[in-house]
Amino acid sequence: MIVKDVVCPFCGCLCDDVEVTVEDDRVVAVDNACTLGTSKFLGDHRLPGPIRRDGNGWKDISYDEAIRYAVDMLLDAERPLLYGWSSTHGEAQCVGVHMAELVRGVIDNTTSVCHGPSILAIQEVGHPGCTLGVVKNRADLIIYWGCNPIDAHPRHLSRYTRYADGFFLENAFRDRTVIVVDVRKTETANIADEFVQIRPGGDYAVLSALRAIVRGKTDTIPRSVSGVPREQLLRIARRCKEAKFGAFYFGQGITMTRGKYKNVRNAIELVDELNRHTKFTISAMRGHYNVYGSNEVNTWMTGYPFGIDFARGIAFYNPGETTAIDVLARRECDACLIVASDPAAHFPRPCVEHLAEIPVVQIDPYANATTAFCNVQIPVAVTGIDAAGTAYRMDGVPLRIRKVIESGYPSDEEILSRMYAMIQEVRSE
Amino acid sequence: MKFLMITGRTVNQGAYVERKLSAQYADETSTCFMHQFDMMDLGITDRERVQVTGPCGTVVLVIAASEDVNPGTVFVPYGPYANHIIGGHTHSTGMPDFKSIEVEIEATTEQRKGVYELMEELGGVAYDR
Repeated sequence: MIVKDVVCPFCGCLCDDVEVTVEDDRVVAVDNACTLGTSKFLGDHRLPGPIRRDGNGWKDISYDEAIRYAVDMLLDAERPLLYGWSSTHGEAQCVGVHMAELVRGVIDNTTSVCHGPSILAIQEVGHPGCTLGVVKNRADLIIYWGCNPIDAHPRHLSRYTRYADGFFLENAFRDRTVIVVDVRKTETANIADEFVQIRPGGDYAVLSALRAIVRGKTDTIPRSVSGVPREQLLRIARRCKEAKFGAFYFGQGITMTRGKYKNVRNAIELVDELNRHTKFTISAMRGHYNVYGSNEVNTWMTGYPFGIDFARGIAFYNPGETTAIDVLARRECDACLIVASDPAAHFPRPCVEHLAEIPVVQIDPYANATTAFCNVQIPVAVTGIDAAGTAYRMDGVPLRIRKVIESGYPSDEEILSRMYAMIQEVRSE
Repeated sequence: MKFLMITGRTVNQGAYVERKLSAQYADETSTCFMHQFDMMDLGITDRERVQVTGPCGTVVLVIAASEDVNPGTVFVPYGPYANHIIGGHTHSTGMPDFKSIEVEIEATTEQRKGVYELMEELGGVAYDR
């Protein structure tokens, strides 16, 4: 059986034109998806059932036992951390926020290690963004700054920019200019009309120089700024001002490097400046397929998009203090519930060392690096393959993620709802 | 020699991100892309091993020659190998320094470790069933 119009649950593009061939409740072929999406749909090696650490080995346990362990861990903890959330559906994220409030924990999602700084900048100066459809149909200038969509969002170029048709562009491929700004010559740089190579850590200075040029202060620009020649800066600024509709996409090249949210703020203010001359928008290239959703769900439930601390009984937000990296690196949390994430592979060493010292429960379909630090791991269905739910695309458009096979695994929402009900029962006594 | 280490996404890292125990994931995330001029200075050739020391530790990576990185800079895909030497300080932003990290690199004959060997070094227990 071929299932059409399936939404891919890998990256923030949420491509919704994937075709999946299913035989005997197994995905056997995938069409239209990129390498990343295809490998996720065809993923095997699921953890067969819940496991519990037993000394230096592992033993199988039942779902009931695993859920009981997770509930007791959260009830016994004084400062639990509930982390992950970006690769699951919105309905599960909702239960997570309720649970964090009830156990007075810290809840954080993967935003804090991807576009957390972007959100801090947006909170300071706003977000002049638009949907991907607007860019596809109108943009004649695309800037990819500190991002490499060919590797991280492979179909962004074919669905929305370089290789996409546009309603208001006669010959989209010819009429659209693509500029890539990066510290290394990425695959995306190879298909750009112009590549701007800056020295590592030089983003803030280059953005400031472009702002100055757009303002007409060309005399103040030195011969080279962070490795970029003055002539190239002048040309880029002219191209931006002459565009009918520009779209600026940025990635972790500017959120993870020196300056962090100040880089993003500078980029937004450059776009602000360009809007005095033409139409220009800016958006983040969001990574996990529902990381945008975790920001939405957290914000509508608590007022804050990530890094929320319920220790006071109310939602408290102070990135740098209430974010997962800081809570772990300060060795502050005394238990950790991880949902749909792998911090042992993606967090810096001091954070992982602390995970080894506290009880950890992971809810995830696969054995991964974090499994090594788990007391209990509970396998679940993969949203978009054997579970349905809501996810938000990188431009903030919510899409219904479909279920294409029946696997028998419970969804994240089912496991979390059972845990929440048990915690509620104890807390109401 | 001192270098700036940049970490980032690669398509192979993403394709194997749900198969962290596979050899392909370990191979991809333990690759250190370096300019050939720097490799000549270090006296190493393609696929030889280097010891990389960062703010929080040391890890053995495998060199891949690349013209995409400038001399003085190395690129390592996101994953447990790069993170083995990265510090947890976030400058009050919640985001650690995953890019532009100062590291010391030298040739080594030490073996590259597996993902679970790294995890065991940090206090974890391998799940190898």
